[in-house]
Amino acid sequence: MTKILTKHFDEPKLHELETYRRLDGYKGLAKALTMAPAEVTAEVLKSNLRGLGGAGFPTGAKWGTVPPVDKVPGPRYVVVNCDESEPGCFKDRVLVTRAPHQLIEGLLIAAHALGAKETYIFIRGEYQNQYDVLRRAIDEANAAGLTKHASIDLMRGAGAYISGLDTALLETMEGKKAWPRQPPPFPTVAGLMGKPTVVNNVETLSMLPFILREGGEAFAKIGSPKNGGTVVFSVSGHVRNPGIYEVPMGSTLRAVLAEAGGVREGHKLKCVIPGGTSMPPLMEKDLDLKLDFDQIRAAGTFLGAGGMIVLDETADAVDVAHNIERFLAHESCGQCTPCREGAVWTVEILERVMSGGGVSEDIPNLTRLGENVTGKTICALGDTVGMVSRAYLQRFPEDFKKRIPDGQKS
Amino acid sequence: MSATATKSKTPFTPEQEKELVAWTKRYPHSNMGLVEALRAVQDWHRRITEADAARVAEIFGLPFNRVWGVATFFPSFTQWQTGRKRVGLCHGLSCWLAGSDAAEKALRETLGVPEKTCTADGEFSWEAMECLGACEQAPALLVNDRLIGRADAAAIAALKKGKK
Repeated sequence: MTKILTKHFDEPKLHELETYRRLDGYKGLAKALTMAPAEVTAEVLKSNLRGLGGAGFPTGAKWGTVPPVDKVPGPRYVVVNCDESEPGCFKDRVLVTRAPHQLIEGLLIAAHALGAKETYIFIRGEYQNQYDVLRRAIDEANAAGLTKHASIDLMRGAGAYISGLDTALLETMEGKKAWPRQPPPFPTVAGLMGKPTVVNNVETLSMLPFILREGGEAFAKIGSPKNGGTVVFSVSGHVRNPGIYEVPMGSTLRAVLAEAGGVREGHKLKCVIPGGTSMPPLMEKDLDLKLDFDQIRAAGTFLGAGGMIVLDETADAVDVAHNIERFLAHESCGQCTPCREGAVWTVEILERVMSGGGVSEDIPNLTRLGENVTGKTICALGDTVGMVSRAYLQRFPEDFKKRIPDGQKS
Repeated sequence: MSATATKSKTPFTPEQEKELVAWTKRYPHSNMGLVEALRAVQDWHRRITEADAARVAEIFGLPFNRVWGVATFFPSFTQWQTGRKRVGLCHGLSCWLAGSDAAEKALRETLGVPEKTCTADGEFSWEAMECLGACEQAPALLVNDRLIGRADAAAIAALKKGKK
């Protein structure tokens, strides 16, 4: 199967500049530097690269919304979102650990395309090992004269999931509480310190060296319509071989599960969370669904950041929904009332059901509560609060009813 | 308390003062160094007190409540004293599926303290943490900056004995 990002992951010293360069490293950057910035963006547009941090927005189109330097003079920034915190996602951690130069090369390509003289890698504070790996790789790149057109600096977060949302990330970088901003303006127009800023995910930027080296068309050809290239799934849960698996965009759920060895021995598939715990689960009937940002929507869920959690028959939907809603309640930033209150109430109802004290009204109440949060907050965390409880209720009503003494009535 | 701490009463050593000042100069705007500066304070004092925040506010030229708001927002910053080994147990979905409840029981019993409480010798504290990004090694522990995967009772016993 075609690999782009993990192609050389059997090379033990891939994290070192010398090895990376021997394996075509920094050829994409060299190519980009011979091109005009607009030509680089055109190549990325042609590639159908989508934002792999979860939103799936076409990367070239995002770049296209940055005002040109002659219209809006002054600094502009590229910021790497390495704040991976969605439960189920760990691919950025592995990508940075194994191939830091792949990310740095992509970042330097983006900086050239966007005219950014300063770039930042914002990394979650818990990834200190990866911070150290990046520090060494940046030092190597500086010493090799690869960063003449743009500097790279690092900044660490302090444990808040919401910092992974682009505008909240920028607030964190500005030394504030990680409260998402209400767009417009979008960061590409007014981002870090009010300057045009592109925030791209680790995996997205890591794709750029291939796109520049081999061409946007070659990248687009690997994926599915409007979804270029590959995607790296983080697979965990009730699966034989948890780990990261890179597959072409549009691969079936069945194929990804097969890569990870399938459901653990002696057990039966219950459902699969495809993109991180915020995403509603896929069911057995969805095994032949093609996984890309567009086709997955047919099953009422999202590709997210590819954090795939496999659940077998031992997982109870009430417990699973509770675990996820508890996480969201803890990580709600508190700015929007429907999310701040709705998440806590959702957890309270689920805990009542779990303790055996549930009442039949709890089921319609969870649904109504979900409806009252979704679409009513600044960022998508609120949508998730409303989406998760309803998704498990809808797919596994029996799990809820059997734990509510008079549940069969509802 | 208000931002009345004076330089003579700084809770930081001269070297630490210097490092905090350096964070005001690292990035294009001084405020951009604030979260990193507070990370340093948390490392040094194993918590952030109001006196700490007041001095950081002075160094950054910000109101005390502006800095205290940030210090009390982020989960990495604590007002309670953490152990020299601050143990975080991931209880995200994959870690919970793999037995984070059992790991929590082992932590409580092996370290002999409730969550967010320092052992009498100051060596350990433990707390539940949100997803540590190590779902393939579930359940995961973070001991200061070090990740420990597959944290069962035996791994936690080894951690207590200083063998892990």
